Order: sequence, then structure tokens, then C-alpha cells
Amino acid sequence: MKIEGFDHGSRGLGVRNYQLILPSVVCSTHISRRIANAVNAVTFSHQHGCGIIGADVAGIGDFFASLADHPNVSSVLIISLGCETIQGQELAEKLVAKNVSTKYQIIQDSGGVEATVTAGTASARSLQDSYPAKRIQLKDFRVGIDAPSNSAIIRDLIGALRALNIQTDLVSGKSPADSFSHLMEKKVHLILSFPTGDQPASGFPLIPVINIASESALHQAISADFDLPAETTVVNIVKLIFEVANGQETIAETNKSGEILAPRLVRST
Amino acid sequence: MNNSPLKAYLRPNGSWGLRNHILVLPLHSALSSSARAIEEASQGAVAITHDWSGEIDADLERIVSTLAGFASNPNNFATIFVTLDSPNERRIIERAKLLGLSNFVHLSLADVGSMHKLVDVGTREADQLIARALLQDRIPAPWSAIVLGLECGGSDALSGITANPALGVASDMLVDLGATSILAETTEILGAEHLLAARAITPEVGVEIVNTVLRYESSINYEGIDLRGAQPSRGNIEGGLSTLEEKSLGAAKKAGNALFTGVLEYAEVPAVPGLFFMDTPGHDIEQLTGFAAGHVNIVVFTSGRGTPTGSATMPVIKVATNTPMATSLKDLIDLNAGTIADGVESLSEVGNRIFNEIVAVANGKETKAERGGHHEFSLSRLYN
Amino acid sequence: MRKILILHSSDNVAVCLSEIGNGEVIEQDGKKFSALESIPRGHKIAIANIELNEGIIKYGERMGHAISRITAGSHVHVHNVLGDRLSSGEV
Repeated sequence: MKIEGFDHGSRGLGVRNYQLILPSVVCSTHISRRIANAVNAVTFSHQHGCGIIGADVAGIGDFFASLADHPNVSSVLIISLGCETIQGQELAEKLVAKNVSTKYQIIQDSGGVEATVTAGTASARSLQDSYPAKRIQLKDFRVGIDAPSNSAIIRDLIGALRALNIQTDLVSGKSPADSFSHLMEKKVHLILSFPTGDQPASGFPLIPVINIASESALHQAISADFDLPAETTVVNIVKLIFEVANGQETIAETNKSGEILAPRLVRST
Repeated sequence: MNNSPLKAYLRPNGSWGLRNHILVLPLHSALSSSARAIEEASQGAVAITHDWSGEIDADLERIVSTLAGFASNPNNFATIFVTLDSPNERRIIERAKLLGLSNFVHLSLADVGSMHKLVDVGTREADQLIARALLQDRIPAPWSAIVLGLECGGSDALSGITANPALGVASDMLVDLGATSILAETTEILGAEHLLAARAITPEVGVEIVNTVLRYESSINYEGIDLRGAQPSRGNIEGGLSTLEEKSLGAAKKAGNALFTGVLEYAEVPAVPGLFFMDTPGHDIEQLTGFAAGHVNIVVFTSGRGTPTGSATMPVIKVATNTPMATSLKDLIDLNAGTIADGVESLSEVGNRIFNEIVAVANGKETKAERGGHHEFSLSRLYN
Repeated sequence: MRKILILHSSDNVAVCLSEIGNGEVIEQDGKKFSALESIPRGHKIAIANIELNEGIIKYGERMGHAISRITAGSHVHVHNVLGDRLSSGEV
């Protein structure tokens, strides 16, 4: 089974062609969303980047860097306020060394909100023009699995995927969002999520997520949010993996659902 | 009855709203996107995004009281809860009702059937509530209707000289008239806690102020970080700050010279008018969120470097500490206190301008952050 | 145009609103004296004589104490002032 992917240069080969508008601090999340909406790019709301100390300074910086370096990303525009702990310019300079399709915009140096939205939108569009989608057959396809337990279907599924020489990563996080962030850092192209009965189906802005229902009352009530029912089979899952990897939108992608949970260890000062 | 020029929305529990919002509040992070979609599709509802997925840990109670307080803020005409109908989510709704929320709708994903339907149903509910809210008129309100939050962020060497002490003049005027004013950011008063304690109305309140700072320091020191060691920082000293007390006084002067009536925990609603200190982090948005959950209905936010952030429920008035920034970032600054540093206006002149702006915004004048659609929100966790 | 900012009536220091030159005369808010050295913008100038260990009063509050005698018109900063609270232990 072939997968038609995207060539993202030093970021590697991806199954989606997303431009990421990356707010380096909570104060630039709204402007980032306005720019993302204007140019049909991906962004996320978060509360970090300032007032962090100790291990969180490197932790959050590295987390933002791994988002910007993900293989599904074609180019990155960092939106910074200017006085935050995780300096947008420093983050950009670190990233440009690896991925040349990276720019940044600083609100405090751009003349305010509207001027930043205007300049940021133009900058994002110029990145899109300079780095148009380049199709290429995908190699080293990597699938992440968010599953609470190593149940029978998971073991069979991993066996089937390994047989097709697809690499897999299994994570059981505190919540789907927690698992998705860890799987993103492992640069998985696509995620299979088996949320526990009390968690809804949800997605992750940069990575297509296939949601498989459980038998829980909640999941039966919201079956329309799941890509596959509880009684699905490994064959059906593998079939859908290839359809999604080749461009078919998952339900979470259609709903644009799912927030990005950044890993924090220490309270804010 | 002191005849105040205020007109506001009277809530069933006797508190006053300075806005009449329909708030769309997801109680699970995965429902944030639906809340945002409802906000976009509706005729003017406001929504927030957060990252709590129902985890049960040491921060659960802090999160429950924050979401319940935010939902019941008097600036909300009504709140639409978007939930999975879990036990802790129901507890948040019950707590919000105890805190005074009377108009609300509870949309459960399971009842509605899918995230897509949630947006359609939620938008319809929001538009109906918006229509009802338009029928409510502002009526004359006493000075005690104002619950003012005092905040600073992106401070510079002039913060402690211009915007902060000028805001202190306005805060003293309002407290004298019977309003409520709340100072916060425990990290900012580090080193001046004994000076603030000396302004407490009782010795017990004074001890509470000092203990709040010591508790904060111990919650940070386990990281082996002594915040006092690095304060004032090299940059501060270059800017003219000589001691830790001087730097902290520069922040604390947002609260003028009035006496402290009490100390509030994070997201705690004050029971009586007066000047309070709330234990919040210095993180701008965790503080704004703690204020909103504590039923603050208007905020003045001083800044040296400039920030566009605001709140879904509270109007946030931005005061610049210096004229160059107030000029270059016009569309995110409401008022310039830099004229003090320019030697053109006195502290009391700018203090009175801030006071008049608070009254105008309380009566409905839109702030730059509201016009820009800034609804930043941030749960506050201690991770211990 | 005001050259210095006195934040509270009981203060014994003021903030320089612009760079003050050595010998520059300051006559404002009922006070008259001349600067004994050049003082950068945002830094403090003594507007009264301050004895050794006497409190430095700004905003009407004690922000530290003098570690040498300071005459009116002098630059007040880390070289002649120390905070009262050196460690977090003291309450």
C-alpha cells in the first residue's frame, strides 16, 4: 500500500501539509489565531511562555521547537509579544538553523495588534508561496497509538502494522491530549486514539487522529464523533489508516477539535 | 446613598454586572473548539479555551473554584456550560449556582449527540439568551457596584513611578466611595510584605499578608530558586531601582495608601467592599482569570512594554507607563500615564483621568482589548 | 516642566524625570537645591539630608536605609543604600 506524502525538507516527509502559526507566549495566541484563520493555517491556544521558571523554561522551549519541527509542518511563523520568557526571536533563530522555512513577528516591535496581523498574514502567505506543497512517496511511516491498556486488539494491531513495516509508538497518558503531545514529540505522522469511556473523541491540530469508540455509554451516545465503532476489526483500522494517510479527513479534523497540552512541572511565578 | 453616575445590570443575588455577556464555558478541554465555534457563529456570545481534561489531582479544587467563579461572574447575563456531564463538571455547575449564577444552560455532549450538533444547538441557545439579555436595561447603581482588579504586566523602570502610583490614586478614590479594589501578584510584593502588613485594618489581616508571601516563597523554593536573590535584577538596578522593597513598592502602589480589609485566596469572592490582596501568581493571564473567578467586574492593567490581552468577562483598561509605547502601540493602550515622566502631568491629574476612564468603561465604553476580541484564559496550577 | 517627581509628601528622595547634570539647580514643589553629581533618568536624588542608618522614604514608605551620610542633591542608589530585609527569614 503506497502513501502519497509531502516533502518538508529538513522536517522530513509528512502526511499533511500544515503551516503552523506558533504563539511563543499566551499573549500572542489570539493574534496567531486571527492570522491562522486568514491564511488557513494551524495554530493553538495555550497559557505558557511567560512567568515560568526552573525546568519549565527549557521544557516549554523544547516543546515549541518540537511542534515547529514536526514532519507534517511545511512552514512556521512564530508570533511573539517581545518581553516574554520564551523569546520568539531566539526560538526562531534556533529553528531557522534547522528549518529555513521559519519566520517570526514581534507584536511590541510591529506597531500594535492590527499591524502585527497585517504583517503576519503577509509573512505567512510569502512562506506558503516560497514553500508550495511538494508530493513524494512517504517513507518511514510512523503511527502513534493512544490506548489505556495493552488489550488484545492493540497487540494484534501493532503486529499487523509491524508486518507492513510501519513503526508504532504506544502511549497511555493521563488524557488523550497528554498522550497526543508525547506522540507528537516522537514525530508520529498519524494517531490512533482509543479514549477511555469517560473521555470524548478529540484531535490534535498538527496530526490526524483516528478515534475508535469503547463500549461506554458516553461513546455510544456520541458514536457520530468516532471514526470507527467499538466492534471494529484490525483490518478496518489498517484500511482507514491508509485512507487517512492519503488525505481523507478524520472526524476530529473536520470538527477542528482538540487542544495542544504543553508539559509543565512547576507553578507560574 | 452617595449619588454615583454608574448605571449597571442588577443580578438576582444583588451583585452588579458592568457587562451583560453570554458566556460559553467548556468544562473539558476537548470541548473548547466547540465553544469557540459557538462564539464565532453566534450574535455575540463570548467563549474561552482551557486545557483541563477532567484530571483528578492536587489542583482539582483550585480548578473547580476557578471555573465555577468564572461562570458566575456578575458580568455574565447567562452562562452556557458545554460538558460531558461528569460528576466533577456537575459539581462546578452547583458551585456556580451557590456563587450567584441564576441564568444558565447545560449542554451535555451525550444528550446532543455529536460535536457538530453541539455547535448548532449551542449557537441557537446563545442567540436566544442574547435576545433576552438585550431586554435588560442598566439601572442606577451605587459605587459599591464596582469590583476593581489592579494588575501590571510587562513592567519597566517607569511602572513604579507613573502608571502604578497613578492607579493607586484612582483605587484610593474608589475605596473611599465604598467600592472594592483588589491588589494581587504575590511575587510582585516580595520584600514589601511587612510594609503592606502595616496597612492592614487588623493585626490578623497583617499576619495573613506576610504568611501569604512566605507560603508563596516556600512553594517556589523547592525548585532551589531564591527569588529574593535575583531581585532587583541587573536590569532593574540599571533602571534606578536600589532595593527589593523599592521594586515591590512600585508594584504595590497600584493599591495607593488605603488600608487592607482582607486577604483572598486565589479565585475567592470578597464578601464586603474595601481593599483586598488576592494570592495570585504574577502570570498575567492566571491573575486575570483569578480576578474574574473572584467576581472582579473591571480591571486596570498597567504595562511598560505593552500587551494586547483581555478577558471574556471583564473589560480590561490598559494604561501605558511611558509615552513612546503609548504612541507606538496605540491600538492596545487605552490611556497614557507617561505624561508624569514627561513632567507634563502630576500623579493626581493622571489618577483622576484613570478614575474617569474606569467610570466610563463601567458604564459601557468599549476597551481596546474588548474591541480586539481578546478573551485570554488560563487555569492556574501549583503542581505540588 | 518638572525635572523630578516627588511621589509622597513625606519622601526624602525624588525620581529624576530626565538626566540631571552635576550642579544643575532644581527648584520645584517648594524645594530649591542643586545636584552634587550627574544622575541618570529614573534614578533617585536626595531632597533632604539623610543621616547614617536613617530610612530612605519613597511613596511615603521606608524602602531601605542609608549606609553613609547623604546630603541633599546626591545620587541615591546601591552605593549608599541597603534594603532592610536582607533575607526572607525576618518577619
